Amino acid sequence: MSKVLLNGVRSNEPMLLSVQIGNAARSAFLNYSHSRRCDVGGRRFFSVTCSLFGRGPPSRKEKKTVEIPGLDRVTYADRMHFVPGLAKPIFPDWQRDWHDPHHYRGPNNEEMKLYKENPCYVFNQRTKILEGVRQALWLTKSKLIQGLPEHILALAEDPANQIEDQDERVQQAIRHSRFWDTTAIRPKRDRFCPVLFRDLLHLCGTLQVKHTSLSKRILAENYRVAALWNRESDVFQVRGLNGMLLNSMTPLPAVAQSGEVLATENHTLETFYPISPTIDLQCTYVYDQKNDTGFREGYPYPHTHTLFFTETEDSAAKFKPEQLRAKMIMFAFGNALARAKSLYGEHPQVLEHPVVVQSVATDGRLFQFIVLQLNTTDLGPDTGVKNLVWMDQDQLLYDYAKCRPLIKKKVVTVPAGLSGYQPETFKKFLALHLHGAV
Amino acid sequence: MAAPSRLPLLQVCSTRVFLLRCTQGFHSEPTVREPAYPPVIPSRTAKSKSAKKRREDDYHSQIRAASSVQDKLRLLTKLQREKYVVYPQTFTLNADRWYQHFTKTVFLPGLPEKFSVGRQVVDNENGKVPPAAGGVDPAVVDENTFSELRSLVGNGILQENFYLKKRRPFLQKEQEHVVAPFLSNLVSSVTNALAKYNPLLKKSSLDFNPEVSFYWVRGERTVTRGHRRGRVDPIRFQINDQPHCQIRVPEQLEEFLPLQESVSAEVPVVHFEPNRLPMFQRQYDNNIFIGSKVTDPCSYGHTQFHLVHDRFKRDRLIKGNLADQIEVRLRANAIASLFAWTGAQAMYQGFWSHEDLTRPFVSQAVVTDGQYFSFFCYQLNTLALTVQTDQNNPRKNICWGTENMRLYEEVKDGEVVGLNDDVLKLLVHFLLNKPQKM
Repeated sequence: MSKVLLNGVRSNEPMLLSVQIGNAARSAFLNYSHSRRCDVGGRRFFSVTCSLFGRGPPSRKEKKTVEIPGLDRVTYADRMHFVPGLAKPIFPDWQRDWHDPHHYRGPNNEEMKLYKENPCYVFNQRTKILEGVRQALWLTKSKLIQGLPEHILALAEDPANQIEDQDERVQQAIRHSRFWDTTAIRPKRDRFCPVLFRDLLHLCGTLQVKHTSLSKRILAENYRVAALWNRESDVFQVRGLNGMLLNSMTPLPAVAQSGEVLATENHTLETFYPISPTIDLQCTYVYDQKNDTGFREGYPYPHTHTLFFTETEDSAAKFKPEQLRAKMIMFAFGNALARAKSLYGEHPQVLEHPVVVQSVATDGRLFQFIVLQLNTTDLGPDTGVKNLVWMDQDQLLYDYAKCRPLIKKKVVTVPAGLSGYQPETFKKFLALHLHGAV
Repeated sequence: MAAPSRLPLLQVCSTRVFLLRCTQGFHSEPTVREPAYPPVIPSRTAKSKSAKKRREDDYHSQIRAASSVQDKLRLLTKLQREKYVVYPQTFTLNADRWYQHFTKTVFLPGLPEKFSVGRQVVDNENGKVPPAAGGVDPAVVDENTFSELRSLVGNGILQENFYLKKRRPFLQKEQEHVVAPFLSNLVSSVTNALAKYNPLLKKSSLDFNPEVSFYWVRGERTVTRGHRRGRVDPIRFQINDQPHCQIRVPEQLEEFLPLQESVSAEVPVVHFEPNRLPMFQRQYDNNIFIGSKVTDPCSYGHTQFHLVHDRFKRDRLIKGNLADQIEVRLRANAIASLFAWTGAQAMYQGFWSHEDLTRPFVSQAVVTDGQYFSFFCYQLNTLALTVQTDQNNPRKNICWGTENMRLYEEVKDGEVVGLNDDVLKLLVHFLLNKPQKM
């Protein structure tokens, strides 16, 4: 965010914290002040005539006007000046007779076209939910299974599916992203994270020589998803930009068979009373009820394959691993639900052909893998068939990638360069990539 | 000798004893005598032309004696002085002639014989052609593969322009919003599809938004004003380029023309100072960078892909009677970017202006705005561009380039109208380029 400019503030009080408030303090303040009138740290001004943030003029307490039906209020409106003892007149609000965009107050929530009585809780790309994976599982009515499915992992163990000199090439990719990509000594995280991701995808793409069905996929950036569902009388939505999507022409095969799916009926969802499952979700009364995959009808690659999340420059979008996993589950679920509703209709039902969506997230070193199988769109009641989530969390691709060696008490504890490479993590990445094409 | 005797010197010299002693030593080996005094060379610190020449010669011999490439580059770039910043994507008029003068490049319209459009790329007679291993014509692609590439490209165009629901792009960000994802998809999908015909692509590294920079010296000027008035200063240039993506390979591509062969066309000479273009001077870090550091094994370049500027609008140029400037800007972009890339590749191998190339360095580029594509090839024959080294240097760098060609006419109702196969064939031909011995 740019520096706050002090242009000229209406209030006479000294601007206490307006310039010194940094992003951290401001976001801390905004997170913890749920009441509207909280003048401690300051608030944003949307007016064009003064500065951007500050305490502003003190709000005057309006005296309540007492309306007694049948009695007229005697005001000093006719006298044109204040008279002690008479009531203050209430004048109608003045409206400018032309539209001035700099002085435009939008309509209230109640006057908006899309206003609804029931609130909707929206999950967007910046939402960091308190209970993390547990809350995401409750919201998506899913059962968690630790570890990726066996038959997917077996895909990467097969030597026919491996890249030539796989370990060496992955290590070159890591060194390229972490050391060699910049004229400076080391690149920043928001530079090396997407570079590493692209390099690994390029490596996986070289397998197209052996498996031609890998060509039936395409990457889509900057797409927006919209999915809507009810959970126990609350309406939830997943909306917005999320990450990079790998679409494919053929759907992913179901991971768990129908026996396992029906067995999930016995599983009870974990609640976390007294925390409400809607915590940290954006509560809005003005919303559009739509389910949208982000692509038009007739798209040649209609089936979602994998959703990728990487670290970006946006400092507000830096996620801790637990919240990142929750985001992965929610957006994978959103994509799967949108596709299921477009294929099978809006009516809540148990799906005969479950929709499978994978998701991979990384911060350049730690990888999180998720496979979500949507078994049912009947998400209202807590009972019934549940969806399944396989999760492999916090997989290190390498221990250290240091430009200068770490020396403690004159002993080199961590040498310079790449150390502690773990080949298993890339095998899982490759397995998820090959799933559906081999 | 005459001193102990009272005889005059000349009489002593003519005596028999003296003559015998003088001639006695002639049949033995002459004794090697070390010079008693160091060689007479100009001073190092004096304020004279010979002292300056000596300082320069010492500097050059220090660079020649550098132990590693990194040291050489550091010595060449450590001193910061004001230099002209050359922007490959420039709006100046007739910039290509000026850039040709700065880089001693000859521009030949069309492409080298290797890529002449008449040569067949797609094998129409045989259904299946065995991939490159020992084949007669290594640059021939299967009909099936070509039609698959056509559909891949068509789908890429449709995804970005039709199927993906996008919001309106922000001002001046249309290229990044619409064309950049299409180009990324195009490059990665076509490279993966052609990997089975070109094993070099399997070992390649695909960078997105890399930094390519080059620093060189060309020409001299006399300082007109200031405390350094009258002194002769070399003119320094720097390019900092950011192509959309590039392919780097571990082995060098073959030359298009032999090094010593002279080309009939002439390098245009511009007698004005560079600041008349206009071009402006700045002083900052001198960088020589191909996209990754010297330790990267993929240290040779294959193909670069450039997106034109958002402000490059064809209709505006045609409306302003500058229709010829369209080609000029594309040529200037290609010449500057490719000279920087090949020059940096050559410097990574240890060549510099006083140690000229022993083998030519070759790279390719594609400049596009999403619909119009132009193809360029560049052969770097000489880095000796300073006044001192250029005196007896007959070699010239050569750039070949096509006019821009439309890939497709328009996108209408989910169909790509008028997909041009020639452009695709050229792209395939470019990507299939590899050294003979592979």
